[in-house]
Amino acid sequence: MSTVSPKDSTADSHYDVIIIGAGLSGLSSAVRLGMFGLKVLLLEKHYIVGGLNSFYAKGGRKFDVGLHALTNFPSPSSGKSSPLFKLCRQLRIPLDSLALQEQTSSRITFGTTDLRFTNNFDFFISEIERVFPHEQERFHRLLSKMENFPAYSVDAEELSTRNILAEELNDPLLAEMLLCPTCYYGSARENDIDFPTFVMLFDAIFKQGLARPEKGIRALLDPLTSKLKELGVERKMNTPVKAVHAEEDRITKIELENGEYLTATHYISTCGGLETETLLQPPPQTKNFEIGRFSIIESISVFEGHPKAWGWDETVVFFNDSDSFSYNEPKELVDLHSGVICIPNNYGLPSLDQKQESKLRVTHPANYSLWSALNEESYAGQKKIWEGKILENGLRYLPTIKEKVAKFKSKTRMTDTFTPRTIKKFTSHENGALYGSPTKRRDGATSFQNLFLAGTDQGYVGIVGAMLGGIAVANNQILRNL
Amino acid sequence: MNKDKIKQIVLDIIAEIAPDEVLTDVKPEIRLRDQLDLDSMDFLDIVMELRKQHGIDVPEGEYRELESLDSCANYLLPKFETGATA
Ligand SMILES: Cc1cc2nc3c(=O)[nH]c(=O)nc-3n(C[C@H](O)[C@H](O)[C@H](O)COP(=O)(O)OP(=O)(O)OC[C@H]3O[C@@H](n4cnc5c(N)ncnc54)[C@H](O)[C@@H]3O)c2cc1C
Repeated sequence: MSTVSPKDSTADSHYDVIIIGAGLSGLSSAVRLGMFGLKVLLLEKHYIVGGLNSFYAKGGRKFDVGLHALTNFPSPSSGKSSPLFKLCRQLRIPLDSLALQEQTSSRITFGTTDLRFTNNFDFFISEIERVFPHEQERFHRLLSKMENFPAYSVDAEELSTRNILAEELNDPLLAEMLLCPTCYYGSARENDIDFPTFVMLFDAIFKQGLARPEKGIRALLDPLTSKLKELGVERKMNTPVKAVHAEEDRITKIELENGEYLTATHYISTCGGLETETLLQPPPQTKNFEIGRFSIIESISVFEGHPKAWGWDETVVFFNDSDSFSYNEPKELVDLHSGVICIPNNYGLPSLDQKQESKLRVTHPANYSLWSALNEESYAGQKKIWEGKILENGLRYLPTIKEKVAKFKSKTRMTDTFTPRTIKKFTSHENGALYGSPTKRRDGATSFQNLFLAGTDQGYVGIVGAMLGGIAVANNQILRNL
Repeated sequence: MNKDKIKQIVLDIIAEIAPDEVLTDVKPEIRLRDQLDLDSMDFLDIVMELRKQHGIDVPEGEYRELESLDSCANYLLPKFETGATA
């Protein structure tokens, strides 16, 4: 089928594969292809790898951009069937080297109803049975429906989860409480989530579980970049792609911002479906990808001491202030009705270090257009204002007594906030869309024979999803056809 | 080249791609999938390593010839032999 054969390219400068974007999907594709001797070039517009899951330093402290949780923890009940286990094998990164620390426990809280979960799926089931005894039978029927649904297959039907939950369950509150965490961890669609994605995320969060590498996202990024080096994969940073040139149904070359042209037999783009279409020359007559609308703001507070000293021993809290959950682009800058709290220090055992600093991360839906319309001065001003509101609001969902709020603020050493504008900057996604376009291409195929999409707009989201997506495209579209 | 050597080559590859599997007791006549935790992605890696390390091509339609150590040996022996004379 294909004409690539390793290392026998016609000209020195011709590549077997050029990959756009050194996020987790691009890095994973590059490692797979390099591993089997293909001549690969990885192009990244930033000076740093990782895309949405990168890292930075500010105020002398290290931050991960996106890491709340590494999902799919290979718990005793999921073990080797966990996608995280599989992707470590495929990339030949020993799972042990990640030094995963498990969550303590987490919670979904809606008004006065709480559902707690840990990395023990049976505990979550018992919680649901305790809080929704009248739903017990229906919930188990839903679980078998999910098990029998081919969620992981590339042609899984993109049914509406809202409709399915409405059919299967009687109590709408249970449906809303299941939608909340799954939407936040990976829905590109407003107010709903495609059923295959719902099933994958339900497995990833509840059946497998949440963990964090001891060293944060660098525990993944560092071995990936050192493997690329060992394998001789070429990487160009600070190198934005300006255009992707096509003739009929093939890509012929890539044009860089700096005026250079590059050619390859195959091309993989990880910058999004819509964004890839925007790079195409000539521009396509029809646009195949809907624009994503969901973006977020996240505020990180660095505070003195261990969270336990404040009475906080949970890892992640998905919260909503009423019985019904809305997952939309808000009409104002930020929607405070619901969000996600993460306390990364509550992975693993608490440190005994008295002088320790901890982090509290709070995420909310936010409106990209409104944030991007602000001039620099009001942008900075609004960030400050919302930082305060987000913190005060978020503390309501943690066991906090009112008097403590002021004290907590006085013990906060710094805050940092990123907005939909930041997401746009790190991913180039139109609209700062966190999970890209609602239109997905699970197998990565496009209308061009030698162009494939990997990562976010393949529909495999999150850290584990992006990596597995990159691996799947490398395997199924290129390696299998060698 | 002989069949025992080929079985050892395949086992060595499995040890490389799936270092967590215990390979001391693999029965040559039983499907690998039935005794080890290997999925289609792992079989792709066996094929890719055969190609990289020994220059042997296994077309996608014939991946199932690799299902057990015995079938690997039968299927790969002629390929190793033509490789050696080429
Ligand atoms: C705040 C936040 C928290 C998150 N938390 C989690 C979490 O806890 N757990 C989890 O699993 N997931 C989380 N995610 C989601 C996860 O980060 C993403 O799903 C995943 O990183 C997507 O990877 P990707 O490779 O598909 O895309 P990206 O990371 O977007 O990579 C694409 C790359 O392409 C580059 N690029 C774009 N255009 C061009 C161009 N023209 N030329 C060259 N390069 C270009 C970009 O710079 C980028 O590096 C979070 C995301 C955010 C924003």
